[in-house]
Amino acid sequence: MPTAGLLLAGCAGPQSALDPGGDQAHALFSLFGLMLWVSGAIYAVVLAGLGWALWRAWRRRGTDARRDATLVGGVDARLDRTLPVVAGAIVLGLTVLITGSFFADRALFATRAAPALEVRVTGHQWWWRVQYRDRVSDGWIETANELHLPQGVTVRLVLNSADVIHSFWVPNVAGKLDMVPGRTNRLDVTARRPGWYRGQCAEFCGTQHAHMAFAVKVEPPAAFRAWLAAQAAPAAPAEGRGAAAFQATCAACHAIRGAGAAGRAGPDLTHVAARRTLAAGALTMTRGNLQGWIAQPKAIKPGTSMPAIPLTPADADAVATYLATLR
Amino acid sequence: MAIGRGGATTAVLAALLLAACGREARDIGPSLGETPPRGGSDPRIPYYQDNVYQVAQGGRYFGWYGCVACHVEGAVGVRDLGDGRWQHGGGFDQVYAAIARRHGALNYAARIPAEPLWQLTAYVRDLPQHTPEKRRRLAIDQVGEPHGRSWSGPVR
Ligand code: HEC
Ligand code: HEC
Ligand SMILES: [Cu+2]
Repeated sequence: MPTAGLLLAGCAGPQSALDPGGDQAHALFSLFGLMLWVSGAIYAVVLAGLGWALWRAWRRRGTDARRDATLVGGVDARLDRTLPVVAGAIVLGLTVLITGSFFADRALFATRAAPALEVRVTGHQWWWRVQYRDRVSDGWIETANELHLPQGVTVRLVLNSADVIHSFWVPNVAGKLDMVPGRTNRLDVTARRPGWYRGQCAEFCGTQHAHMAFAVKVEPPAAFRAWLAAQAAPAAPAEGRGAAAFQATCAACHAIRGAGAAGRAGPDLTHVAARRTLAAGALTMTRGNLQGWIAQPKAIKPGTSMPAIPLTPADADAVATYLATLR
Repeated sequence: MAIGRGGATTAVLAALLLAACGREARDIGPSLGETPPRGGSDPRIPYYQDNVYQVAQGGRYFGWYGCVACHVEGAVGVRDLGDGRWQHGGGFDQVYAAIARRHGALNYAARIPAEPLWQLTAYVRDLPQHTPEKRRRLAIDQVGEPHGRSWSGPVR
């Protein structure tokens, strides 16, 4: 009993395919259940057959096969009759599995004609660019490393990669789908259970592949709309020492909308402090972690393309303070 | 920093030894290029120039820092960086200085940290080694990457 409890404890959680919180994850979970029971039954039948054969051989040891009454002309008639039935049952079980997987696949990748919301997710080494289609301006509202999904709404995810192959995977919401350079993959997801989940790159993409995660929040549509409106809003115009230092060295790669920074190489930082994690799930978002990341990004994610910027201690402090106000 | 000369030399030597393990080797230790090169025979130069990963990283920054805006394919004269003629000298330290100091108000010496400048220099000096077709392929490999202030996405 305690062992079973321990085993099952690993099943729930924010990054688990066995704890579905959306339609697509549910379809996969049902398929997994079907596979488990059908394969389990086949396994039991095969082992039972093996056990029976061993037992039969043991019982007959020392007897002369020519005198054995159960054998007719050296052939076991009972075995001759049951074997095709067992083999047929196994083929039937496998057919059930193939049919189940065929229909689950079709249901999962049947993208709907007109999605309520389009979200473009682009994989970069080693972070995620997330853009929401703005219905009003037909442009994109950009954020990074965090995906918000309205509860009960089917969202179309448009998946790309800017450099190498990555894979988008939020097991509680849907199965994984590769992000391939030069190609667009689409995935419709319908999240049902509100809460925080964890997404993770599921295709090895370089030294920091393991640190390429993101936070996913499923929330009621009203809360989602409020969040998206906040993300769309620009930051307050920048002033002070931190903003000036940012403009000089960081703005080449990072954008802060409304404050004149327009670099596109790294994550959009307009509302960076409102995120739950920092540097694609590598750290939790705190004022201290922000400053640590800016001082030594390569100590936290060795190999990352964000260079360490030699700022004076006062400037580093001011930049971190400035970023922490970007909510 | 309290690291003695001996320590620094050992670190440099160790890194050089590691670099010899393969042209693709990726070193994730502390960076060597935290100060500009000291002359054309600075021992750190091979570490960057002979390593394909460091050169490719420079190619990536070449787009990110917006160099492609002026040094585009087909640029002529001093802006053509693939022709093998260096207006201000082809030594590592000279090219480094040209990037850092010869761009007027762009003031890369102040705006780009030393390590990316090392990588950019290695990339730019690597360009004349390739045929125009190969150079174009390098560029095509990076179409999905952001260029300065513009990023249109990997699929058009
Ligand atoms: C050469 C381009 C470049 C420069 C210059 C640069 N960054 Fe970055 N930055 C990046 C990249 C790329 C990432 C994503 C790294 C990762 O997660 O692997 C990043 C990530 C970040 C993040 C984490 C964002 C998130 O969503 O979690 C912060 C904060 C940040 N940078 C701040 C700064 C600050 C402050 C400066 C200036 C002192 C700066 N950056 C300079 C490229 C750059
Ligand atoms: C605004 C246009 C512009 C941008 C952007 C630009 N350059 Fe230049 N670059 C020039 C011009 C003009 C010269 C010639 C300067 C001179 O001769 O003093 C030059 C010269 C150079 C040289 C020296 C060439 C030689 O023959 O000696 C190198 C190397 C170089 N640039 C690299 C870069 C790198 C790397 C970047 C990005 C970090 C960059 N440039 C961005 C315009 C630009
Ligand atoms: Cu990845």
